[in-house]
Amino acid sequence: MKNVFTLLGICALCAVPALASEDLVSGLSQDTVEITSNYTGTDIVVFGAIEHLDDTGTHDVIVIIRGPDADMTVRKKDRVVGIWLNRDQAKLQDMPTYYYLASTRPLGDIAAKDTLKRYGIGLVNLQPERVFSHHDPEPFRQALIRHQEQDGLYGEAPAAVEFLSPALFRVHVPVPATVTRGQYNAEVYLFRDGNVISAQSTPLFIDQTGLERRLYNLAHDSPLLYGLSAVLMAGILGWLSSVVFRRTN
Amino acid sequence: MEIYLPIAEMSVHWLVILGMGAAIGFLSGLFGVGGGFLLTPLLIFYGVPASVAVATTASHITASSISGAIAQWRKRALDMKMGAVMAAGGLVGTVFGVWLFGVMRRSGQMDLVVSASYVILLGTVGGLMLRESLGVLRAVQSGTSAPARRSGQHLWVHGLPIKMRFRESRLYISVIPPIVIGFFVGVLSAIMGVGGGFVVVPAMIYLLRMPTNVVMGTSLFQIVIVTAATTVLQATSNFAVDIVLALFLILGGVIGAQLGVRAGERLRGEQLRMLLALLVLAVAGRLLFSLVIEPGELYSVTTTGP
Repeated sequence: MKNVFTLLGICALCAVPALASEDLVSGLSQDTVEITSNYTGTDIVVFGAIEHLDDTGTHDVIVIIRGPDADMTVRKKDRVVGIWLNRDQAKLQDMPTYYYLASTRPLGDIAAKDTLKRYGIGLVNLQPERVFSHHDPEPFRQALIRHQEQDGLYGEAPAAVEFLSPALFRVHVPVPATVTRGQYNAEVYLFRDGNVISAQSTPLFIDQTGLERRLYNLAHDSPLLYGLSAVLMAGILGWLSSVVFRRTN
Repeated sequence: MEIYLPIAEMSVHWLVILGMGAAIGFLSGLFGVGGGFLLTPLLIFYGVPASVAVATTASHITASSISGAIAQWRKRALDMKMGAVMAAGGLVGTVFGVWLFGVMRRSGQMDLVVSASYVILLGTVGGLMLRESLGVLRAVQSGTSAPARRSGQHLWVHGLPIKMRFRESRLYISVIPPIVIGFFVGVLSAIMGVGGGFVVVPAMIYLLRMPTNVVMGTSLFQIVIVTAATTVLQATSNFAVDIVLALFLILGGVIGAQLGVRAGERLRGEQLRMLLALLVLAVAGRLLFSLVIEPGELYSVTTTGP
């Protein structure tokens, strides 16, 4: 890791400053996260450098990690003759299963609302592709965000971007154990005086490996075999235990 | 040490899962019930997705019930023929139940139906068992012996056609009541993730009038067949059986079940039934509470598709 930073630092220094506009270089500590049998969540590091840094003006960096999209149904409970049951519902199409945002300062201080909205930055601007509902979808969208935040799957961390030097930064992104497998995207935005002057996107893959992978594949590719093996395992263990316990008696 | 569950897609502590399995297995051996009515809510409370909890519990019950059934069979406390007849009804019920499971899940009322059926079923069964066992206990204390079962005593349900002799149960009754009970339990197994022992045991005692000593073994035998079928059906139709979770639950469960059978030998039948009744009523009360008290979060989220 240290080598990478040094390398980036050298690159940033070597670059020809004259006439060049400011630009962004960023990368990830790893481009795949492998879920193994003792996986309990992990941290990935997004790091980057501002090339041809011009000291005038205010610079801000926003880093967003987005997980694969999914359709989510949000239901609201209501009291009907003394019992709480699901009444109204809204299906929100293509919401990210994971969304983590880190910035140098609170979003409101970095740029105007319209700018953030245009780039879809921030949980406030996280909108589904389509909504199927007979009701106002906004409370349902907010409930979804609340739910995901509680599970550690959505988050906003102002001031989580660490600057190691005026041009070098890094962010620790927590990836909980409950994340969905699939393709993730790390987006890095460079702001100067409230305007996006550079942006970069890097893919990241989260997938199971080893035994977990094989079990998952077996469960989906040959479910009958998988189900029968589960029953066989249960049978053998149950029978074994009664043999063992008879011996010890 | 944490372990990652490939189907539930989460990591859990193996000791917690092992402990849960052992506790439920102990009850299973003690009362002759599968313990699913406790394990399913426990797993959901721990954060396992409801569909995975329901499906995986079935395989756990298979294992602890086999262990318990073998222990009872050695003591000759098992009516294989009665168990087989009930299991036949159970298999049909399971297929119907898995279909019903899908219909309810699509309508968004799964949670309500499951909770409400738990409350009604557990409340009724628990209340009846408590009343009966307390009556027997009081009779024992006041010196009058409990009325002994007479093998000639029949209810109207026994008079239905297609009669069959069940030697171990000392019964000559119609096969229709055991098949209907089996079917009903098969449905419960699929939609509630339970073996159905808490329904089968009282039904055998009060409806079929089977002798108490063969009830435990026979219900366990019947549960093995039904939950094994549920496991396979849930694996093929919902991809919801987590084999790693099942392994740890089972390891704890089989040990607990053996200890439970031994503990059960030291307790009298009516004492066992009273304890089981209290446990069943406690779970029913907890679920009723969650239905009528305003929840802290009114909204719930389910991922419905990629």
